[in-house]
Amino acid sequence: MSEEIQQLVLWLIPVAPLASAVITALLGPKLLRYKSHLPCWSALAVSFVCSLILLLKILPSIGSAAVDPGEIGTFAGPQVLVSGYEWLNVGDLHANIELRADSITAIMLSMVTGVSLLVSMFGSGYMSHDLGYPRFFAAVSMFVFSMCMLVLSGSFALLFVFWEAVGLCSYLLIGFWFQKPSAAAAAKKAFVVNRIGDFGLIMGIFLIWTNFGSLDFVTVLSDSARIAAVEVKNPGVIQLICFCLFLGAMGKSAQFPLQVWLPDAMEGPTPVSALIHAATMVTAGVYLVARCTPLFVMAPNAQLAVSAIGAATAAIAALTALTQMDLKRVLAYSTVSQLGFMFMALGCGAASAELVTPAVTAGMFHLFTHAFFKALLFLAAGSVMHAMGDVIDMRRFSGLKHALPITHWTFLVGAAALAGVPLLAGFWSKDDILAVLAEASHSKEHGLFFGVIWAVATGTAFLTAFYTFRAYFMTFCGPEKFPEEAGHHPHEATPIMAWPLRILAVCAALIGLAVGPTHLFANYLQKTMGLTPVPPESQHLHWGVMALSSVVAIAGIGLAWMFYVASPKVPGAIASAMKPLYLISQGKFFLDEILKALVVLPLVGIAKLATVFDRGVIDCIVDSIGAIPRALSSIPRQFHTGVVSSYAGFMWAGVVAAVVLVLTMF
Amino acid sequence: MLFTDLINSLITDTTQSIPRFGVELCLSATIVLMLLMRLSGLDRLIPACLTATVGALVATFLAYKQFDALHAKDAVVTTHIFTGLLVHDSFTVFFRGFLALFLLLTVALTSLTGIPDEEDSPDFYSLLFGATIGMMLMASANNLLMLFIGVEMTSVPSYAMVGFLKGRKVSSEAALKYVVYGAGAAGVMLYGISLVGGVLGTTDMSLLSQRLAEAAAGGSGGLKDPEVRTVALGTMLVMVGLAFKLSLVPFHFWCPDAFEGASAEVAGFLSVASKAGAFGLLVRFCLALSGAKGTESLMISFGLGLGFIACITTTFGNLAAYTQTNLKRLLAYSTIAHAGYMVMAVAALLVLKNSPQAATLTENINQSIEGLLYYLVVYLFMNLGAFAVIAIARNYTFSEEVDSFKGLISQSPTLCIVMLICMFSLVGMPPFGGFVGKLFIFASAFKAGEVHGFMYVVVAFGALNTVFSLVYYIRVLRTMFLEARPADARPVPVRLVSWESAFVVTLAVFVLLLGVLPHMMSQTANDAAQAIAQLPNP
Repeated sequence: MSEEIQQLVLWLIPVAPLASAVITALLGPKLLRYKSHLPCWSALAVSFVCSLILLLKILPSIGSAAVDPGEIGTFAGPQVLVSGYEWLNVGDLHANIELRADSITAIMLSMVTGVSLLVSMFGSGYMSHDLGYPRFFAAVSMFVFSMCMLVLSGSFALLFVFWEAVGLCSYLLIGFWFQKPSAAAAAKKAFVVNRIGDFGLIMGIFLIWTNFGSLDFVTVLSDSARIAAVEVKNPGVIQLICFCLFLGAMGKSAQFPLQVWLPDAMEGPTPVSALIHAATMVTAGVYLVARCTPLFVMAPNAQLAVSAIGAATAAIAALTALTQMDLKRVLAYSTVSQLGFMFMALGCGAASAELVTPAVTAGMFHLFTHAFFKALLFLAAGSVMHAMGDVIDMRRFSGLKHALPITHWTFLVGAAALAGVPLLAGFWSKDDILAVLAEASHSKEHGLFFGVIWAVATGTAFLTAFYTFRAYFMTFCGPEKFPEEAGHHPHEATPIMAWPLRILAVCAALIGLAVGPTHLFANYLQKTMGLTPVPPESQHLHWGVMALSSVVAIAGIGLAWMFYVASPKVPGAIASAMKPLYLISQGKFFLDEILKALVVLPLVGIAKLATVFDRGVIDCIVDSIGAIPRALSSIPRQFHTGVVSSYAGFMWAGVVAAVVLVLTMF
Repeated sequence: MLFTDLINSLITDTTQSIPRFGVELCLSATIVLMLLMRLSGLDRLIPACLTATVGALVATFLAYKQFDALHAKDAVVTTHIFTGLLVHDSFTVFFRGFLALFLLLTVALTSLTGIPDEEDSPDFYSLLFGATIGMMLMASANNLLMLFIGVEMTSVPSYAMVGFLKGRKVSSEAALKYVVYGAGAAGVMLYGISLVGGVLGTTDMSLLSQRLAEAAAGGSGGLKDPEVRTVALGTMLVMVGLAFKLSLVPFHFWCPDAFEGASAEVAGFLSVASKAGAFGLLVRFCLALSGAKGTESLMISFGLGLGFIACITTTFGNLAAYTQTNLKRLLAYSTIAHAGYMVMAVAALLVLKNSPQAATLTENINQSIEGLLYYLVVYLFMNLGAFAVIAIARNYTFSEEVDSFKGLISQSPTLCIVMLICMFSLVGMPPFGGFVGKLFIFASAFKAGEVHGFMYVVVAFGALNTVFSLVYYIRVLRTMFLEARPADARPVPVRLVSWESAFVVTLAVFVLLLGVLPHMMSQTANDAAQAIAQLPNP
């Protein structure tokens, strides 16, 4: 494929949604109105097709030429570089915009554009009566543009710009119904909590700039010798960089203790929850850590922290999900928990160097499959909500399987995939993670550490199966019950909503089987810069882990069935027997309250102090500085009398001064 | 030499020169045509603004053809034309294109706002074209006499244009003040020219530096040599003359009065075009005297002196603008301040070019000229945009006071947004062109700080002034955007789809493009810089 076509394809991926965003924002309110989905659909379709071309055609065609397995560590992998434009070139300052696509980018792009296309189709049905219809599609297009640019960025600087841009879109969409105080508050919360992470990210980027003198991915990441040299020059700096970057990832990917914003973000429209807060944006943190693997490899402590935080998040979120009554919140906590799984895997490289690539592969694979089944679950939950008149409390409806047959079976597929039922998508990827963890627990140095993590992961997998099917049984089984808001006949999803559900269900069922055990995904991903391809002979399936995780999943589902279908009285009894524990779980471990006491209240106090200081001291200074030019400006006015002779006098004085100066100086 | 030989050589010289002088000739022909049409009464049938537009279009086209050739490397060979009175190189071509385009835009603006009425328009356009030719001569002068002729050819029509609104007292008064100072400055400059030319024995600017080096080497030698001191004095006086044209403090007094008295269109023209011509000339003059062996420290002192003047000028202009209530007057002070920023580039040029390390700094020397040229181009669009908005609104409100713009956003959002873009660019905010221009200039002045620490002070002044200037620009914007339009204010119904809007939006688009795609222009500016500094980039 010729160079020009490659450039065109690569540019079209972000530019099409951008164009759609601009068109919809400009023409939407007046002209397009309830046809505002058309630009969005067509743009996303274009992006999706281009991403597939990139994934299947362009990169493999380059791959054959560039692969050089002999040089481990400086392996850059096949990549397409498209320099957009050089903005400035002054002195040492080079501000360029360039796109860079390699394997991990191509995978992310295909996933993002594919899921967003389906979600936007679903959204046109879901939002069909909303007054903000054009605004919704403008924001979604903008989000897809930002997300595509985020993964296409060739440097940390550009990555940061779009990191913030996706945060902005997320803010706009969480607060989509800004008339609702809870939505506005949730949007604010998400934005503020993300700032903490962004602080870390930008500190990390500064550190990279000062230590590497470049922000370009290739310069920073492709040469392990250079990273080692930086570490020798400034011991500990790489570790610091990694911690900073990971803090950024924690904010965006809702890791403990910064996960508090994500459940609240469910105030946004459900398609948004599915797209941004489950499938795509929240995985940006995982992407960042995976992308920076060459740095993390040099900082084992940072990797251990990644795993530990991931494990803590996964467990806490899963325990919280056990008792939530809001269907979307259960899914939100499960998202947090699954993101924790991905981070657990990413940290495994600390155990041994051979594990780095399998660890990243497992994390990214889970990210990939998770996008499909979690988007599916959210959309199905949205369909339930749509039918139930926006009621989402699971206590108020039950037995929906006859009323909503399509929603029912698609949700069941998604739930089974999430629970890790054998052969479905989640099974393969979760199994990969457990296998990597199990292998890491055999290492000499950190064996015990990873043993604990592995145990937590297995326990969390059990909990996942349990709470997922708890939600399923409470919603779809039992006696048929509708809330009043739903009216007499709850209506099943319209075709435009049903088809994305069906397609996603097929993906959630089959995509893991298609690319997991065949090692297609692993082989493709491992051509990414900074990863060392694992030779085919050492790739194998982990039968033992598989058996164990199957048992765990079936056990969780079985327990859920016992509790919520066979003998529905048991949960209540257990809850009253273990009241404190139940309350802790239902109260979300009181993290919101703890954070409020530890962080928010002191900050409010500081803010109040700062206000006093600001009003009393700073404002005074600023006002007086502002008064200086005003006062000084009276001086020039003195000269401008408007009288010709005085003007001439000043001019004459100027000439004389100049002449005297020259005569005396030399 | 035989008389016939002389004639023959003159004929060959002229025939070779004329094709390169096409733009100026075209403008001259347009002037003659307009005057003839007025004489014969033809201007009743074909309005003069049409003739002027066609003339300016043809000139711009010719200039563009020369300009376009700049992209091809080494396409423009430096040649002396008209027996060495003028020089034709990339720098000349750059300014020619710049001025022709600006002329075209001004003619378009005046025909939109109808400021010279039909009766007077042939006179007005003749003056406008004449002044433009003068500016082109300034930018291509290679002889001290041409320097003077260029300045005067620009000044005399300018005086008349400032006073063109007959019957307005302010206007006539402004024109008179302008004439008085112009005459004074011209006298000083002519005296300086005679000193330089008399001591060095030539008026050919390309020989000045060599003669200066000889003068410094002979006699008592060095800077104490009376000849060198006389030349320094002459140079100083010439610079005073140019400082008048550039309205540098303390030779700026004419500027606010002239701008307030003149119509906004004329003020816009003077603020950009006459500055551009004078800067072209200043760069040529400075380079002509630079690099002479033995006088480097003298020229560095001149550079630092210019830097000092630049600091004073920007500070003074910005401070004075702070309390203005008349928009044209406010922009007049802003013009003074911007001239100060641009002089910083010339100061950096002088300091870098005459430093002992000059050989290793070629890229930075080129960059300082490039920055000046880039700034001028951006300045064309942003300042003309601001003046155009004022002129258009004036046609509805009959006022140019800041207060008459109160709440304009509710009636003419297009004008307000264009004003916003232009003013933000004037402040130097990214992503508008003004930012890039300032960045280039400050970068080269900063580099010059390595040669002499005072240049760091100059940069600091530039940066501080940028902050100061924000205040008064924002005040205008606040008036336009945030305040309510008084009920008794005259409506300004400028719609999005109208010629006026199209004109100002075009300017704003260029301001934005110059900020987003600097390479569009900076490469060309760099080529021109290389041609005049005669230093190829390493």
